[in-house]
Parts: sequence; structure tokens; C-alpha cells
Amino acid sequence: MITKVTQGTAGSTAARWSASQSAHSRIDLGIGATLMIVACCLPMLDPGRYVLGQMTLFFLWAGIVTQWNLIFGVAGVYSLAQMAVFLVGGYAAAMLGFYFGVSLWIGIWVGGVAAVVFSLAVGMATLRLRGPYVMLLTLATTVAIQALLQGDVDCYVKSATTCYPLTGGPRGMVNFGDFGFVKWLGYKYAPLGGYYLALTVLITGTALAVVVIRSPLGTAFKALRDNQTLAASRGVAKVKFQILVFAIAGFFTGIAGVLYAGQFRTIGPNMLNLDTLLFLLSMLVVGGVGTRWGPLVGCAVIMLSQEAMKDLAEWQMIGFGAITVAFVVFLKEGVVGAADKLWKRWRRQLSGSHDESKFSKGGELPFAKAVEGNGQR
Amino acid sequence: MTMILDIFETGLSLGATYAMAALALAFVWNSIGMLNMAQGSILMVGGYASYWSVQYFGLSWWLGFPAALVAGAIGGIATYYATVRWMYKSTTFDTNIVIATVGISTVVENGVVKLFSGYAKRQPFFVDGFVQIGGMAIRYQTILNFTIALAALVFLHFLLTRTRIGTAITAVSQDKYAAQLLGIPLQRIFVQVLVISCVLAAGAGVLVTAVIPLSPYVGGEPLLKAFIICTIAGLGRMPAAFAMAFVLGWFEAFVSYAFGARFGFPSMLLLVMITLLWRPHGLFGQNRIVRQ
Repeated sequence: MITKVTQGTAGSTAARWSASQSAHSRIDLGIGATLMIVACCLPMLDPGRYVLGQMTLFFLWAGIVTQWNLIFGVAGVYSLAQMAVFLVGGYAAAMLGFYFGVSLWIGIWVGGVAAVVFSLAVGMATLRLRGPYVMLLTLATTVAIQALLQGDVDCYVKSATTCYPLTGGPRGMVNFGDFGFVKWLGYKYAPLGGYYLALTVLITGTALAVVVIRSPLGTAFKALRDNQTLAASRGVAKVKFQILVFAIAGFFTGIAGVLYAGQFRTIGPNMLNLDTLLFLLSMLVVGGVGTRWGPLVGCAVIMLSQEAMKDLAEWQMIGFGAITVAFVVFLKEGVVGAADKLWKRWRRQLSGSHDESKFSKGGELPFAKAVEGNGQR
Repeated sequence: MTMILDIFETGLSLGATYAMAALALAFVWNSIGMLNMAQGSILMVGGYASYWSVQYFGLSWWLGFPAALVAGAIGGIATYYATVRWMYKSTTFDTNIVIATVGISTVVENGVVKLFSGYAKRQPFFVDGFVQIGGMAIRYQTILNFTIALAALVFLHFLLTRTRIGTAITAVSQDKYAAQLLGIPLQRIFVQVLVISCVLAAGAGVLVTAVIPLSPYVGGEPLLKAFIICTIAGLGRMPAAFAMAFVLGWFEAFVSYAFGARFGFPSMLLLVMITLLWRPHGLFGQNRIVRQ
């Protein structure tokens, strides 16, 4: 009975689905363009160095979380190795700069490629694992890398006064040059260089991420996430798609690492602290795991609340921890997911149409839901 | 020869220290499929409970241990009401609970730093001295840790095989929906499992802090080591986890001796990666068929 109803509406829902897809694409394009224009124009208001610096940091974090969301939320591979990928990119460029004097502008590409290689290794290592085991393996990788970097204290470069380990040891890499914005733009306008560079990377990365989520590729990722066995039986190749998503996310994450290194002129093993991981995780969870705009929203919310808690620095981590718990427990679809749900319910009531819910993202069992929804009618 | 005995003794001491933490982790995973990242903070709270009860309430040193167990029970109930109570019906419970418990442990750790400073303390629950056995100097603390961990293993075994609670827990771990249909109160079982595992974890915290100094961040390393032990043994396999604690202790002692102490921990992590690549469910783990 239920199967019959599903078959009966399959053709018309497919048509409506593609219609709603293009409507969504227009909304995505609108949101993206608006944000881009606002971000591009912001420096004209002359907000000062502090705001520009924080905005640059925001672009970097948002870029990382967007790529992490591709792996974690859309493809459903619960990798916690994101900061390790970030660090590999940053270290590749920083070590090239320090030992061979290579400019960071070349380092960006090298860092991106190095991060892709590392990210692919993680992606392939986790292919056969599921859920919590993926988290354990990737967490172990992160902690192992941090322990190795912090334990690296043998002198590699040795002079009368300094001892410099190969990877810089617990302090990390320093003195590897920067993007040269001070030389080109002068001291006054130098922050603008970092600002626009980070913005460019964020826009490219986000645009690609949104396209991936919207394309048939994204549908394949979601199919694998929601029901691996069913997806595999329909011919979705897990190996191919997992490698692809880790490559894409790895590249932009690595580049973000290089930008971070260039912006702060240092990169070290402290980036792998669990606190940093939780900070980024809270952005992901607050925004909405697996949603298109969740990472940006979550990043904005968390950074604004960080700004609000600036005077209570030692309470910050407690706050982020509590926020993360509260969202995972009570609102696991995040701000964007919840807003999306409300919007859809409102529209459904308004138009009397009832098909939207079937293809809503973030639901765990879209197939079961579709059957259920049809059965009720 | 002395070298081999040295490695044996160090490994035994390491294994005895971490075996109980690994047992607690294996038990909670086995029973309700929960990877409890907050266990590190429960360990730390257990260590502090023992310290405070002796330091401020003037109890004799050995009473610190039961005090820690009580603190662990409270921690277990708190963990249940903060997370599991609201999440256990969700189909993404196994991964979301990891995120939630990471959050909890951040709150607890930073809270303890805020309230009681980050300075390291000396755990009063420890015994000095050693006994000579066949050319080895085995510390009394190692023997104590080993005995308590073994007692925990025996306790868990009897609990699961000989008691009503144990039968109910086994039923829930096999199929929680069927168990519920047969009249087993799911929520009560969850509370019981969390209380038992957190009591064990708090006890493990006392044993761990008898060896390494007590500080708010003390939980991180034992937690990761317990994870390593459990992952290699196969999550949820308790006797295997107990044995693996010693195997890995010897492994770490050997690597530290042969290549330097700083490679000890990373080499264990490398071992985890290799094991998972070779056998995705650990050496003795079974493939849990998860209902989709």
C-alpha cells in the first residue's frame, strides 16, 4: 500500500524537487552575493585595525569550518583531524620559507597540496571504519602529531646562540617571512592585504562547498551518510566519493593554514589543543552540521560571543563547552537547520503544499520519512 | 637481563595504572554504545575528591578512595541528566554523544581550574616502598593498583553474569528496543551503567594520580591511553581490555627504553592506527550491526 503511493508520486515529486532546487540555488546565490558585497565594502568604513584583524580571523575560521562541514556534516565522516590538516598546510609553507627562503605566495600552493596529501591519507585510513572509530582514529592522529612536534627538541639548526629543532619544537615555526603586505601597501594599509586574501579564500572555498552540496555529488555524499548500504546497492561508490571530499576539503584547509601562518607569523603545535578543536566544533554544531550556511552563521555566533566574553577570558572555554552541549542535546540541527525547518513549516502552511519536508536535509532517515509522509496522506 | 626486568617492571606499573580506566570505558561502550569523552574529567574529579576528603575533612588516607567512588557516582548521575537522558532515542546517538561529552569535559576541567587553581597536588592515597621478587623491585603501589583493577574486572564479570541488573544490562546492550518491550526500564539501566562506569573511572583517577601529580588536566592522558587500550582490544571487550593494558604498558616501556621517552606515547598512537587499518573493530572486537 505504502509502496504504491510512493511510486505514484515519484514522477511529480522529482519535477517539484528540481524546481525547488533551482529556487534554493537562487536563494543561495542571493545570500552569497549579499555577504560578499558587505564583506568587500566593510573596510571602506575604516573600522580600525582591531576589527579588521578579527574579521580576517573570522574568514579563516569560517573557511576551515566550511570545509570541515563538507567532511563531517555532508559526507558524514566524523573526522576530528581537521586541525591536523590545517597544521600540515601551514607547516609545509613555513618550513619552505624558513629553510629555503621560498615566498609564502608559492607556499600557499605547496601547503594546499601537502594538506591534500595528508587529508587523503586520513580519508583512506578511515574508509573501513564507522562512526566512533573514525573519531578515535582521527583524534589519535591529531594527538600523535602534537606529541611528536612538542617532543622535537633536538637541534637541527645550531649556531652559537640558537638551537632550532627541525619543526621548531614546542614553540613552532617562526621567522619564515610573510606575504609582504607591509612592503607593498605600507604600514597603514597592510591589514587590508590579509583581509582580502582571507576573504578571497573563504569565498572560493564556500562557493565550491555550496556547489558540491547542491550538485549530484552532494546528493551522493548525503546518500552515503544516511544509509551506506542502500547507497552502495544503488551504485554510489564510497571509495571514490570519500577520496574526493577529503581532497577538496584538504586543499582549502591547508591554504587556510598557510594564511594563518602568514597572518600571525607563527604556527605551532598549540593549534592542535583540544580547546581549539572544541572551539571549532562549537561553531559547527551551533551553525548546524551538514547545512550550507551553518558554518558561517556558527562561526559568527561563536566569535561574537567570544567578543562579548572578552573580559571573562577564563570563563570562555566553559561557555563554549556549555553552548556545544546545549546545542547537541537540544538543537542538534543548529541555528540554520532550525530556521530552515521553521521556514519550511511556515511555507507549507501558507501554500498547503506538503512535499518540502521529504527532501529537507539534516534528517537522519529521509527515505523512511518520505514513506511515512506519503502513507499519512 | 636487568634491562628486560626493568622494562617488565615499568610496563607492569603502567598497565596496572591504566587498566581500570580502560575497564570503565569498555563497560560503558559495551552496555549502551557510548564513547564517554567526559571520563577524563570524572577521573580527575575522583582524584580531587580523594585529595579534598583527606586534606580538608581530615579523614585517614585510605578513606580517600571510597570518597572518590561517591564523587564518581554523583558524576555519573550528572552526566546522565546533562546528556544521555535527552539523547538516547536519537539515531545519531553514538556520534553526537562524543561531541556532547567533549563539551562536558571542557566545562568540568575549566571549572575546576577556575575554582581550585591549576597547581599540581600530591595524592594522599599512595603507598611507598617496594618488594624484591626475582631481581625485580616491584613497588607496592603497582601491586595495589593491579589488585584494585583486577577486583574491578571480577566485579564487572559477576555483575554481568550473576545479577538481575547485569542480565538487564546485557539485554539492553544486545537490543534496547526488544529489552524495552520485555519490560526493562531503559532509563534506569542507563543511569545504572553510567553510575557504575563513572565510579570505576573515579577509582581509576585515584590510582592514576597516585603515580602522576594531581592537576585539573590530569584526565587527558589516562583517557587517551584507555581509548588506545580499548580500541586495540576492540571496544567493549573487557577481559581483552584488561590484558591489553599490560601488553601496551610493556610496549610503551620498551619503546621508551629503546628510542627515548618522547616516542612512547606517539608509538602507541601509531599502533592504534595500524591496528584499525588491519582490523577495523580492534583485535578482539566484533562488528556491531547497527540498525539504520
